[in-house]
Amino acid sequence: MEGMTKKARLKKILKYTLWTLLGVVIAFFVFLCVVNADFLQFTITGLSVGMVYALIALGFVLVWKASSVANLALGQIVLISSWFSYTMLAQAGLPAYIGLPIVVLFALFLGWVIERFALRPLIAQPILSLIAVTLGIGYFLEGLITFIWPLSTAGLPELFPKEVIHIGSAVISQEYLWVIGICLLVFIALTVFFRYHRMGIAMRATADDQTAVQACGIPVTRVFSTSWMFACVVAAIGGVLISSIGGITHGLVETGLKAFSVVILGGLDSFIGAIVAGPIIGLAETYGGGYLTTYLWAGVRDIIPFVIIIIVMVIKPFGLFGEERIERI
Amino acid sequence: MSLPCGIRNLTYAQDMAIVRTKTQWGMLLGLLVVVFTAPLYLSNYWLGVFNLIGITIIAATGLNILTGYCGQLSIGHAGFIAVGAYTSAILTTRFEMPFLVGLICAGLMAGVIGIIFGLPSMRVKGFYLAITTIAAQFIIMWIINQWGWTGGQLGMTVPFASIGGYIFKSGQSQFYLIIGITVLCVFIAKNLVRTRVGRAFIAIRDNDLAAEVMGVNLTYYKLMAFFIGCFFAGIAGSLFAHWNITLTPEQFSFKNSILYVGIIIIGGLGKSVGPILGVLFINLLKEVLTINVVPFLEDKLTMFPSGFASGVTPMLFGLVIVLFLILEPRGIAHRWNLIKASYRLWPFSY
Repeated sequence: MEGMTKKARLKKILKYTLWTLLGVVIAFFVFLCVVNADFLQFTITGLSVGMVYALIALGFVLVWKASSVANLALGQIVLISSWFSYTMLAQAGLPAYIGLPIVVLFALFLGWVIERFALRPLIAQPILSLIAVTLGIGYFLEGLITFIWPLSTAGLPELFPKEVIHIGSAVISQEYLWVIGICLLVFIALTVFFRYHRMGIAMRATADDQTAVQACGIPVTRVFSTSWMFACVVAAIGGVLISSIGGITHGLVETGLKAFSVVILGGLDSFIGAIVAGPIIGLAETYGGGYLTTYLWAGVRDIIPFVIIIIVMVIKPFGLFGEERIERI
Repeated sequence: MSLPCGIRNLTYAQDMAIVRTKTQWGMLLGLLVVVFTAPLYLSNYWLGVFNLIGITIIAATGLNILTGYCGQLSIGHAGFIAVGAYTSAILTTRFEMPFLVGLICAGLMAGVIGIIFGLPSMRVKGFYLAITTIAAQFIIMWIINQWGWTGGQLGMTVPFASIGGYIFKSGQSQFYLIIGITVLCVFIAKNLVRTRVGRAFIAIRDNDLAAEVMGVNLTYYKLMAFFIGCFFAGIAGSLFAHWNITLTPEQFSFKNSILYVGIIIIGGLGKSVGPILGVLFINLLKEVLTINVVPFLEDKLTMFPSGFASGVTPMLFGLVIVLFLILEPRGIAHRWNLIKASYRLWPFSY
């Protein structure tokens, strides 16, 4: 008993120290932003990129929580929805308010197809086949993308006003702020959905205990299918946002893979983790790209999320907010 | 099950034998004769195809040991192959070492890198490990892309393999070199999994906690699986470097890593014949597609933008992987055993 309380007290102290440390770090960053224009620019870029990563990571967490399937085809889903939006907006020339809902419908359909025809037959299979099947889906989608859109790059028409904003001596393009805003809106919408909607509650319950949920008469397969549809929609939104800034390239697959570092850092089964870790990864990436490139080789920016993955794996494999699973034989 | 009716194992040696009956010996020798006389009746193009198949079999065998037997999913295998390829290439060009030294060092180097990236496997498994190996793939390829010695994106030129003054320049000589090493590697892999080490791997795959309770040293054997799997990858990489003589980073892309996982799944996880069947299936499918299907499609479907047909191959590969997982998760090896059994038992059903 004595030891327990001591441990609890230690934990409390540690918690307060960590929060204080976090506050100090954030204050320091804000200070740097005020002082240094470059730094402010990096911060805004990093935050917006990180928000998009968080969105894509949410797509992963949704599926993982509902059905414990690790979706490694995320990058390809991002890429194919970006290309689809290119077809809708640039090739068909639809205005954004018609084109983007069609993209969302397409993402819903894609998620439904993937779940119904590839994942449903594999329910309760070992994790290795579940990972491999998503790899196979990714491979298929990549081929499909080359088949339909053999171009290597393309640009989306402008979705956001391009005028730059001057804050002090820093010049910030407006799109980044729009991206951050839309990501926040999607987060809020998802939170509301999970808190108040019947399906959202059912999804949370399924994540908690699949057998109990089945006993209560909730259709688990429909929950799986809905989680895949939602995952594809958030991935598609992330894809459209990031390609509206940087254009559509094959690198979007890598963007999807980088979202895994967000998932790992935040914890596989945590929404809050994804939302917190996304900006951290995005900031680390842009700061690293901005300040380390002169000391290291080029392209350091693209490798930072992967280095973070390795570090997290060694130090804290279940991430910041992830649930540590205890296994029994 | 695998023995014909009426054959009994009376001694332990008989029970353990891989090749048990005279017919099996005859089939094996016949297969080896067919394989080693292949250069006599194959054109240079098909020799090249089979050289690549041999190299891929070595790499897939390594991945099969790591993933199929030890259960540690690695989606960065192409990265480890690249480590082997570039190690061998750098040793033979910049330090002018003989090919054999390059070959062994390539295996060792890839093995050591494999151990380093396998270290997280002590704490995590399943999806976490898969992500770690993806990270390994990207970090390795970034270093190769940027480091001066590897030639970066332009790649580097590598001399042909040579042993004691003899240079393996023609398709035939390369075929014998590569297939010889392939047969050796498959033989080693087949026997490795029958030893104490192999049984430890299988115990870890089936349940790592139970294995630990039984007295299997998890750290040691997991890292050993990484070392052996990546050693094979390194050997394959070195052979690839000295066979293809030009190395560029694109040859070891993330897509290749996925394809290797697909290969061992299609072939059959945890079967020593699995990688061979998987590689034959995938590579011959690729040949059929590139020779027959893609030009046909490019000819007939002119309304699509040019270059669309290059997407057919990955599309079909992805489809094949998904279909195999759904319809035949134990791979071609299992189907092959069923065919053998039904042939032996005909006309009875069991």
